Amino acid sequence: MTDSKSPSFFAENWEIGPIFRALLRNKVGAMLIALQIAFTMTIVVNAIYIIVERSDKMQRPSGIDEANSFYISSVGFSHDFNSLVTTQEDLNLIRSLDGVIDAVQINAVPLSGSGWSMSLQTQPGTEFDGTGTAVYMIDEHGLNSLDVALVAGENFSPTDIQTRQSSQTHWPDKVIITLAMANRLFPDEGLAALGKTVYINDIEPMIITGIVDQLQAPWVGWDNVENVMLTPEIRDAKSSRYFVRTKPGQRDRVMNEVESQLAKSNSGRILRDMRSVEGTRLRAYRDNSAMISILVTVMTILVIVTGLGIVGLASFSVNQRKKQIGTRRALGASQLSIVRYFMLENFLISSAGVVIGAALTIVLNIVLVDAFSLDPIAWYYIPLGMVALWLVGQLAVFGPARKAANIAPALATRSV
Amino acid sequence: MLTMKDIKKIYRTDSIETHALRDFNLHVNEGDFVAVTGPSGSGKTTFLNIAGLLETFEEGRFELDGVDISHQNDAARSRLRNQKIGFVFQSFNLIPDLNLFDNVDVPLRYRGFSRQERKKRIEHNLEMVGLGNRMKHLPAQLSGGQQQRVAIARALAGEPRFLLADEPTGNLDSSMAQSVMALLKDINANGTTIIMVTHDAGLATQANRNIHVSDGKVSEKAMSLSPEAAQFKPSQHKRVVGLSE
Repeated sequence: MTDSKSPSFFAENWEIGPIFRALLRNKVGAMLIALQIAFTMTIVVNAIYIIVERSDKMQRPSGIDEANSFYISSVGFSHDFNSLVTTQEDLNLIRSLDGVIDAVQINAVPLSGSGWSMSLQTQPGTEFDGTGTAVYMIDEHGLNSLDVALVAGENFSPTDIQTRQSSQTHWPDKVIITLAMANRLFPDEGLAALGKTVYINDIEPMIITGIVDQLQAPWVGWDNVENVMLTPEIRDAKSSRYFVRTKPGQRDRVMNEVESQLAKSNSGRILRDMRSVEGTRLRAYRDNSAMISILVTVMTILVIVTGLGIVGLASFSVNQRKKQIGTRRALGASQLSIVRYFMLENFLISSAGVVIGAALTIVLNIVLVDAFSLDPIAWYYIPLGMVALWLVGQLAVFGPARKAANIAPALATRSV
Repeated sequence: MLTMKDIKKIYRTDSIETHALRDFNLHVNEGDFVAVTGPSGSGKTTFLNIAGLLETFEEGRFELDGVDISHQNDAARSRLRNQKIGFVFQSFNLIPDLNLFDNVDVPLRYRGFSRQERKKRIEHNLEMVGLGNRMKHLPAQLSGGQQQRVAIARALAGEPRFLLADEPTGNLDSSMAQSVMALLKDINANGTTIIMVTHDAGLATQANRNIHVSDGKVSEKAMSLSPEAAQFKPSQHKRVVGLSE
């Protein structure tokens, strides 16, 4: 006999067996809540997984100084518009402005969604497969303007820079690539790719003269977004895009200044599409942001509805069992015992729900992986989801359980 | 054993005060079988609720088995109820989703007994009331009299000092009522103090003490034990096992 001990803290007296057997005799309500918990877990866990995956993608650094960079396009229209001269004058003007660190003409901008792509291969010949890569055409100011760091080799020199005509198909013989691209072309060699020859257009050789640590392609949804090559070229075209890096905190002022000065300097062209890189990032990930917002909303609503369902069932159960609760109190149940009873009951229902939910989560994930080429869900999402849903259940049932604990034991002797 | 001195109990609503008990005085000795009678609304059930620590009171002094109840908090009152008092209710108050074994087990779990101890007590008490072979049955599968016997087994399983019975035969026909009454007398004969609220004057006369509650006060009747009641002197009897309806 353990009379002298407090009766409330011995697991064997926690009524798990009787609660379980009682639930088996009243399956419908409990089963509905368990299924609701299961579906909620299935959707919430997969949604969280997708959110985390998208967020990770959105957090990837582009490799450039996004906070202090912007770009602007110039499109010449007058019949005497000289592209090369204008480009050089524009760049000289921009580079001379207060607050500008450097500027470059570039054919495409990271994160912008549009750009050039080519294929590089390590052996010449049409029979060999190439590795896809984004192409940025820059002069010797390019690396400084983009704020990318060389980890091997050297920057282009002014004598390396070639003029590229619109219809031109051949390429310079020097190239700078990203470390990721080097690893793809020459697996396990990394920086040792410096000085090696790669081939473009199947047979044109290019020597790798530099390797930069990181730079993203314009297409954020591309699996090989860090496959990038930089070529020493300045484009002779009526449309020209300038990429500008400013000193910290001066971007917005410099943007206005550049637009104004360029507009004054040449009336034979129009300026358009001036955007900060931060703004470009927001546009690039707009769909992802929208999806995350929708998923968060759906998840929140689901969890609230499930929580309310549990509150509803528990409240209904308390109201239906007032006499029984009064009787339990009369037989010696403390208020804590009553709270514990309802929380245990919910724990058992939730346990059934999360076990079913774990299985459904895996099934849904298999479907999603198949349909959208996602990676399989990490294993630890399942136990985390189970714990989260258990907590939701316990929080939801706590209010009704406290209400039940406040039922007077004298109710046992009343005719209700 | 149980002493109430000048107990006052008032039920209040926004506009009405009802004096359920006023200057209520009673002393119950160990081994008594007290029948409490009185008209509806006289305060019988209020008295039973206070005696059973189900309700508090405004004024007065109440000692139960040497413990002053006046200032006990809810947890202490729950513990005292569980350890010292067994309840038998008019409508049995068995938990419909639990089988007989689990029903009798309810107060024993709150008591903190070990699994083996609980099993022994449950089996013994269900055997005692003649339902040892129906432990896995649900209450709905039993007659009213059988359900009340399960309730009695539940009340006795913790070996309480007091058994409080609220109209224990109120929902039973006369045959079943007599059967339950015989069981209660037998329990009393074994030493358990019983306080029974009843409307049935016939049953009341079978107790060895009879008090009448009227307008919230006690008026004790003269000790006029019937020959039948006189047979049940607590000290002369052992518990009898297995009564039938």
